[in-house]
Amino acid sequence: MNPLVVDKVVKQYGEHTAVNGISLEVGQGEIYGLLGANGAGKTTTMRMVLGLIYPDGGSIRYNGKPYSKDQLRNMGYLPEERGLYPKVKIKDQIIYLAQLRGVDRKTADRNLKVWLEKFNVPEYYDKKVEELSKGNQQKIQFIAAVIHEPQILILDEAFSGLDPVNVELLKTTVKELRDAGKTILFSTHRMEHVEELCRNITILHRSNPVLQGNIKEIKKQFPKERVMVGIDGTLTGLDKLPGVKQVIQHENGFEVKIDNAGAAQGILAHAMSQGEVTRFEVKEPTLNEIFIRSVGEKIE
Amino acid sequence: MKYLSDRWVRRLSNFKNVVAFTLGNKVRAKSFVITTLVIAIILSIVVNLPYIISQFSSDEVDKLGFIESNVPQVSAELKDYFDTQENSDIKLVSYPDAGSAEANEKALKDAMEAGEIEGYLDFVQPEGSAFPSVVIKSEELLDSMSGAVSAGLNQIKMEMVLQDAKLTDAQREMLFAPVDVSTVQISATGGAGSVGDGKTPEERGLAMGLVYALIIVLFMGVMISGQLIASEITAEKSSRVMEVLVTSVSPLTQMFGKIIGMLLVGLIQIGVYVVVFLINLGLPHNSEMLSEMNIDLSAIDPMLLVYAVIFYFAGYFLYATLFAAVGSIVSRTEDLGQAVMPITFLSLAGFYIAIFGMTTPNATFIEVSSFIPFFSPFIMFLRIGLSDPALWEVLLSIGILFGSIFLFGWLSARIYRTGVLMYGKRPSFKELRKAMKAYKL
Repeated sequence: MNPLVVDKVVKQYGEHTAVNGISLEVGQGEIYGLLGANGAGKTTTMRMVLGLIYPDGGSIRYNGKPYSKDQLRNMGYLPEERGLYPKVKIKDQIIYLAQLRGVDRKTADRNLKVWLEKFNVPEYYDKKVEELSKGNQQKIQFIAAVIHEPQILILDEAFSGLDPVNVELLKTTVKELRDAGKTILFSTHRMEHVEELCRNITILHRSNPVLQGNIKEIKKQFPKERVMVGIDGTLTGLDKLPGVKQVIQHENGFEVKIDNAGAAQGILAHAMSQGEVTRFEVKEPTLNEIFIRSVGEKIE
Repeated sequence: MKYLSDRWVRRLSNFKNVVAFTLGNKVRAKSFVITTLVIAIILSIVVNLPYIISQFSSDEVDKLGFIESNVPQVSAELKDYFDTQENSDIKLVSYPDAGSAEANEKALKDAMEAGEIEGYLDFVQPEGSAFPSVVIKSEELLDSMSGAVSAGLNQIKMEMVLQDAKLTDAQREMLFAPVDVSTVQISATGGAGSVGDGKTPEERGLAMGLVYALIIVLFMGVMISGQLIASEITAEKSSRVMEVLVTSVSPLTQMFGKIIGMLLVGLIQIGVYVVVFLINLGLPHNSEMLSEMNIDLSAIDPMLLVYAVIFYFAGYFLYATLFAAVGSIVSRTEDLGQAVMPITFLSLAGFYIAIFGMTTPNATFIEVSSFIPFFSPFIMFLRIGLSDPALWEVLLSIGILFGSIFLFGWLSARIYRTGVLMYGKRPSFKELRKAMKAYKL
């Protein structure tokens, strides 16, 4: 039994359907990616998982049990926008939030210090949120979500507004939490993070789940349509080969778009006949391409 | 605790946490400490003001000049009158006749300039044997001066007439003895408990002062705490901390925790002021003044204080829940002022009706208002203090008040539950109802 099971959940606001029949399961030690453009229904789905709003149809089960206030203590939430008291000292508000989720004061204080140390900002303990930069506020926000050691973590756009160093720091932390056996629901519109972190994904488009499953499986469903060729010397006549759709010349090689996987072998033979091949790769489609394709097709 | 279910224990502990957090943040804030201190200092000054003024003015004697030869039969008597009076604020100084009216005036003005006298008296003898009129000439016009001079002249005039009338001593004594009239307010029907069983003017004055003070305290308490509740909730919404809070603690616990927390903040503040006030009143010079004015603080009816507490709490909860509801539907602090306007007007109306009713506590309008929930905390309290409502009236008013607290508390809780997660422009009632349905409330 997976810790988090969302089953055919529907949410309607009046005439408008915000989420139309989404189903997903997140296992222990797994990060599940929820992708979609702005307004696709990611946040609404997360809010339903958090029990902030109730689904109009379907069900959500936590460790096999339906939603109850008791589940709240098992969940940590990182909202998309900063949600902290600007004028309250960090120790006061983090301990307060931890206490509300049933952690006693001492433990909360100890956990907070450990986390601040981990994020290399122990001096923030006595500071107010408004004194921190946006990226550092996000670190504090993250601590607020995990201070009570929840089993299920809901991270809405966790890395937005962070510089690359801090993205890396938080990413490592999320991976550690995953390896510690947490169940993590993760939303973003940054595909590179998803490819790195998630095992399974759901792509939402205009309230509908359009693509779902294991990332590797999904990629297999999409044909390999890109070939990267590196060669010493020149390479001509690629566009005349059967199955080649488009040739793009890059600084250190060629990118060839093909319409069937078999065409790749022809390209390799052609290249080898013209010079020494330094690089040859049949690329899987990137998630970004898959995303644009599955979302884009629906738009037309 | 043992008999409560886990769920209730948790709710209680969350409630406690919200109360403590609200209280702690407010009480530790610099602004709170400074405001409380400043008001306490102002209060101390106001309480001691009569004493401070008396310290400055008591030893000052105003000297007034006059020309000896100017209607001497009256002016000399007046000088005697002030000389023989104890603690008189006025002394008369006589100046010799300089020959002409102009020379006299010049001499007196010179004396004024030299600081010998504050001003001078000009006696004018009209035609015939009528009593002379007096003009007080001074650089500053003091009513108290003319009052004292007029009292002295009246005395002299009376003496002059009495001498002609040749009365016996007994007759004179009777003539001068003051007439004794006093008022006692009684109840014709039997009032609410011991309150209003009949009050002497002093008690009535005391009750008036107390009612006035408590109505102001109630009004201020409700308005300031209410605004704070609303603005804190809006701030939590606009900083999106609300999203995190709502996932941790139920909105109801959160709302009532906040309301109770603010109540405690208000009570602490009022407590500080009451202590400061009592300490100041207890100072020797002030307690002396109180006993001189025949005011006995122990004569305050304890029931009146009990009612004050009941109405303070009831009024606070009624308004606080409304303020919380309004705070929850506003997304930005800038919009809050406009949104709370209706509630502000409601409490202002109650306050002004009460102030108006101080002099006419038995008017029908006041009696009717004392049953309207948003006004009754002010007005029923006023009636209890200054008039004599029947016990059933008081109980009915409190009953209606409690009923509406329940009703508006319930309504506010629903609005709050829905409102805290609605962003964007302020929703209309229709949108709010729709959202409530969407949230399955």
